[in-house]
Amino acid sequence: MLEKTGVPTQSEIESVFPSDERLSKGPVAVIECFQSIPCDPCATACPRGAILPFADINDRPVIDNDKCNGCILCMTKCPGLAIMVVDITWSQDRALIKMPYEFRPLPDVGQTVQALDREGTVVAEAEVIRVQYNKSMNKVPIVSIAVDKQLVKTIRNIRTICDTPTTATHTAIQEEAQDTGIVCRCNDLQLAEIRALIAKGYTTIAELKQMARLGMGPCQGRNCLPVVVNELSRALGVPVAELPVGSFRPMVKSIYLGDLAGYEEQGEN
Amino acid sequence: MVKTADIVIVGGGISGVSIGYFLLKYGAKNVVIIERDFLASGATGRCGAGIRQQWGSPLNCIMSKFSCEFFETAVDELGFDGDIEFHQGGYMMLVTTEKELAQTKKNVALQNSLGIGTKLITPSEAKALAGPLNTEGLLAATFHDRDGHLNPFTTTRAFADAFVRLGGKVYTNTSITGIRTSNGKITGVDTNRGSIATNTVVNAAGGYVQNIADMVGIELPLYSKRHNILVTEPVERVLGPMLMSFSLNFYCQQTPHGSFLMGRTCPDQPRDLRITADSRFPVAMAKTIVKVLPQLKNLRMLRQWAGLYNMSPDNHPIYDQVPGLEGFYLSAGYSGHGFMMSPATGQSMAELILGLPATLPWGQLGFSRFTEGNTIHEPSVV
Repeated sequence: MLEKTGVPTQSEIESVFPSDERLSKGPVAVIECFQSIPCDPCATACPRGAILPFADINDRPVIDNDKCNGCILCMTKCPGLAIMVVDITWSQDRALIKMPYEFRPLPDVGQTVQALDREGTVVAEAEVIRVQYNKSMNKVPIVSIAVDKQLVKTIRNIRTICDTPTTATHTAIQEEAQDTGIVCRCNDLQLAEIRALIAKGYTTIAELKQMARLGMGPCQGRNCLPVVVNELSRALGVPVAELPVGSFRPMVKSIYLGDLAGYEEQGEN
Repeated sequence: MVKTADIVIVGGGISGVSIGYFLLKYGAKNVVIIERDFLASGATGRCGAGIRQQWGSPLNCIMSKFSCEFFETAVDELGFDGDIEFHQGGYMMLVTTEKELAQTKKNVALQNSLGIGTKLITPSEAKALAGPLNTEGLLAATFHDRDGHLNPFTTTRAFADAFVRLGGKVYTNTSITGIRTSNGKITGVDTNRGSIATNTVVNAAGGYVQNIADMVGIELPLYSKRHNILVTEPVERVLGPMLMSFSLNFYCQQTPHGSFLMGRTCPDQPRDLRITADSRFPVAMAKTIVKVLPQLKNLRMLRQWAGLYNMSPDNHPIYDQVPGLEGFYLSAGYSGHGFMMSPATGQSMAELILGLPATLPWGQLGFSRFTEGNTIHEPSVV
């Protein structure tokens, strides 16, 4: 189901939700990360150690719900926007959902927005309680909404209803990339290292790949290439569309050699 | 771009940059490398970059021994401010048939006589050197501890940086569009960025040497064939030596970064310069490797790609001036071993072009061997 439609089944959702007992104790993170992919920023995001360490970059996150206090730190680290925090103790009849929200304009506090389920269908109205966005948040604004408690496992996103842009409560911070930002998680490359190589004259993706193993790790460039193409564009003053990007052909899913070895050939190449 | 050059090298792969470096080292001036794409963008950047001295012909033994010794001190000699990642974990050649064992014994005797310290070892000795190895069906193995593998990208950079420091010029993203001749002599090259007057052109275009030779109407006794390779996700080092077997048809190494790189010869490969991926290859490769190294079944493949072997009739390169066109030199036909032989290629071509005394037996690697029946037999080629 998930692989065909991008929508998890009810049982998949239940499998990542904390128990009702835990939910009744207050805010807690829910990580809807259903596939084994090479991605691990969440593993080191939690200062309380609630997200257990990964043995392998392809591991799926496991959360110790008793250690989680429902803060927003892991949410701002997840590139897949897969984490939300739910708090069914927030009020008598309504639950609070904190979710990453990267669209513009950001909603205003007090605004009524449409609440969407995982298929994008409008299922209710929600009230925006809080909008958090500052420089430490890795360019991931967090919007908190109040919803009917019964819908806490149903609602996953919002749509701002108005046709004309609101005066956003928080203006976007300047999109100034930080030198220490990790560009390539597979090979631990910081933006500063990429900038140094560009300054040395390695001005194509193919050369950066050779010199720094950029795009050669488990993600095969899915995460790093867009960032580096933009950086090259900025450094060279050449539009992104005119930059040669080299061969970019990540596998849909990496395959175990053991599985490949068990594959029987079917016809010609 | 310069208007004149003493020598123009076509191709910025490992052979081109090595030839360029050795030419300048031995006193040549005004040497230019023209590269259609970027350095190591062809077969060099696609190869396994292994180096072995375990050969069956004296010539290959001598050439590879020279090359390996060069690589051992290359960072110093070339003054490179980087790492060529020469992992000398040895090459282990696995022997699984009686016929192969008989040939292997001859090869080891030959190698030992030339100062190469290869040892014939038992399956249990092989297991002690390569822990993950499945010795089932293994009759014996050979091991030479100074063989190994390098990073082809940084090794190419090391040569190129030294070449530039010694005054050479490298033009990347520059295509040769024509070669000028007059009275059977080279007079210049045309590129998409201008023309260069020169009397000497070295065709080191790897898989694409025939395209360059076509510009002067010369047919080379060479063809280019696709070879496939794949890489896994990186893990901690479990395999020291590079493994290889003729009878099992594979090679496999664990790079310093932790990835496993592996390849094998596949049937029915195109000879039309195509380097698209062959979907049959990873299946055949995986079937082979999980038998030899069973624990690799738990590793994920990340990527496959292909590059060109430039094949010669006797699987040895041609280092020579092309008959009938003065000043047109050829360095090609490495038959899959161009990277490992590249220091010998540079040394040989520099001696040939500059008229220096031969310190390597490149005299046997001219065109005349094909017409005079002096081709060289090499029993140990994948």
